[in-house]
Amino acid sequence: MPLVLEQVSHAYRSGPQTTVALDKVDLTVRDGELLALIGHTGSGKSTLAQHLNGLLKPTSGRVLLDGQDINAGDANRRALRFQVGLVFQYPEHQLFEETVYKDVAFGPRNMGLSDAEIDARVREALALVGLDFGEISPRSPFELSGGQMRRAALAGVLAMRPRVLVLDEPTAGLDPRGRDFLLEDVQRLNRSGTTVVLISHAMDDVARLATRVAVLEKGALAMEGTAEEVFSQYDRLTRMGLDVPQGFKLARLLREGGLELAERARLEDIAAELALLIKGGDGDAA
Amino acid sequence: MTDAPHLTVSDLEYRYDPESPPALTGVSFDVPRGQFLAVLGHNGSGKSTLAKLLNGLYLPTGGSVTVSGMDTREDRYTWDIRRTAGMVFQNPDNQLVATQVYDDVAFGLENIGVPTDEMPARIDEALRLTGMYDFRDRAPHLLSGGQKQRVAIAGILAMRPEALILDEATAMLDPQGRKEVLDTVRALNRDAGITVVWITHFMEEAALAGRVLVMDHGRVAMDGTPKAVFSQVDALRALRLDVPPMTRLARLLQERGVPARADILTVDEMVEEVKRLCPSCLNR
Repeated sequence: MPLVLEQVSHAYRSGPQTTVALDKVDLTVRDGELLALIGHTGSGKSTLAQHLNGLLKPTSGRVLLDGQDINAGDANRRALRFQVGLVFQYPEHQLFEETVYKDVAFGPRNMGLSDAEIDARVREALALVGLDFGEISPRSPFELSGGQMRRAALAGVLAMRPRVLVLDEPTAGLDPRGRDFLLEDVQRLNRSGTTVVLISHAMDDVARLATRVAVLEKGALAMEGTAEEVFSQYDRLTRMGLDVPQGFKLARLLREGGLELAERARLEDIAAELALLIKGGDGDAA
Repeated sequence: MTDAPHLTVSDLEYRYDPESPPALTGVSFDVPRGQFLAVLGHNGSGKSTLAKLLNGLYLPTGGSVTVSGMDTREDRYTWDIRRTAGMVFQNPDNQLVATQVYDDVAFGLENIGVPTDEMPARIDEALRLTGMYDFRDRAPHLLSGGQKQRVAIAGILAMRPEALILDEATAMLDPQGRKEVLDTVRALNRDAGITVVWITHFMEEAALAGRVLVMDHGRVAMDGTPKAVFSQVDALRALRLDVPPMTRLARLLQERGVPARADILTVDEMVEEVKRLCPSCLNR
């Protein structure tokens, strides 16, 4: 069952002013998809992410998981929220325990699970992010490399076995190797059935990974569709101050030059089509 | 004298502690005056250690570093080196100290004992060069990340440096902030002739440099123009470094039997290459 935002608005007060951070957003996160959420800094992406697991409550509108309002005041609200795991920006800043084991166990312990179940969850979560249980779990999280800390923090959320994983700029500040490993983890989780919402500024990553893309502008949902549908609206994205993956820029310039290259998200697909056009074009010219 | 290299690194070694393996070893290169040098590499490759050796924050445990002919190991040069080779760090929130942008830029000048009557002109000039003049009365903590980094750069510029060393100055910024900072530094390099050492994780930033140095395991793994470095797709992959998307596309075309050039970096270059490979494909 999907996670549904229904006319969600969020306003907050700072001094005398009221700022509207989210403005009547209707958005459905479908089961099993990898939905990328993009938008300029300040467009409301992080605020939206915090509504997905009930960390923030809408000023108006509802957030529904399996058709149930996650902010309704009944007893299973907590259980609903455990099903949506939120990984903040720079999540390693929230590591605090003396060992990685304790840090990853924190969530499951909070859920009231047995020690045996907690142990199983910690092992599973560390394996999912490619950290060796024997080597890493007894260590202080603060002795790990930046990329390992980030993945330990991700494991802490995965240990709660969320059905939906929300990641707010998970690769910010990581080196290329750290980015690669983390995105491989995310892709593997998604393929094994976890629904993923990925907030990112890295458009080439979004084009490569996302099954669907949603664009926020000034707190409102501006566009929604496949990567091809969204990124082909080059002018509109540029006006919002957003970048477009290079493959789409190339397709656009070549089309302006008269070569009918379809807009495609993956470089492999662009190469296949371009190779055919170039070879065919040579034949025509001869 | 102007033909002499600005920065000279000779057989440099650095150990954080005598017992542990060196963080840098056998590193040698010269940076000519006015060059824009990008240094790429993973965390732990030694690139940040190198940055701190370039302006004497760390001193070599073997080999040497000279800045405009001054050896960083000689105490009498310490302050001249720090003033002429200014450094900008990753986290914009750790570098600003005052409650007003103007005062923040003044802070460095007070530290090096610039006469008070000289200060306003130098501060205004530095704020103009970084495009932050209109923000001079603002509180730094209310600025965006990119603006904060530009204030940090202004604080260094006011000291009239000859070289800027930026250690992942864009790593924590959003795309707009990254562009602001990179554009500012490129203009300083181009217009004021300031030598730049730009340490980064982002290959698309390195692609804009005059020269790219790739660090790996404390050594220089590659050194050349962006075209020469990025066209070595397999070597970069082996280091798990990114390749620009258009360079990767050129490689994918080659794998499909299209003889595309290996050293394509940008979308515009790829368009030109398609024209060359298939003149009849593009007619308008």
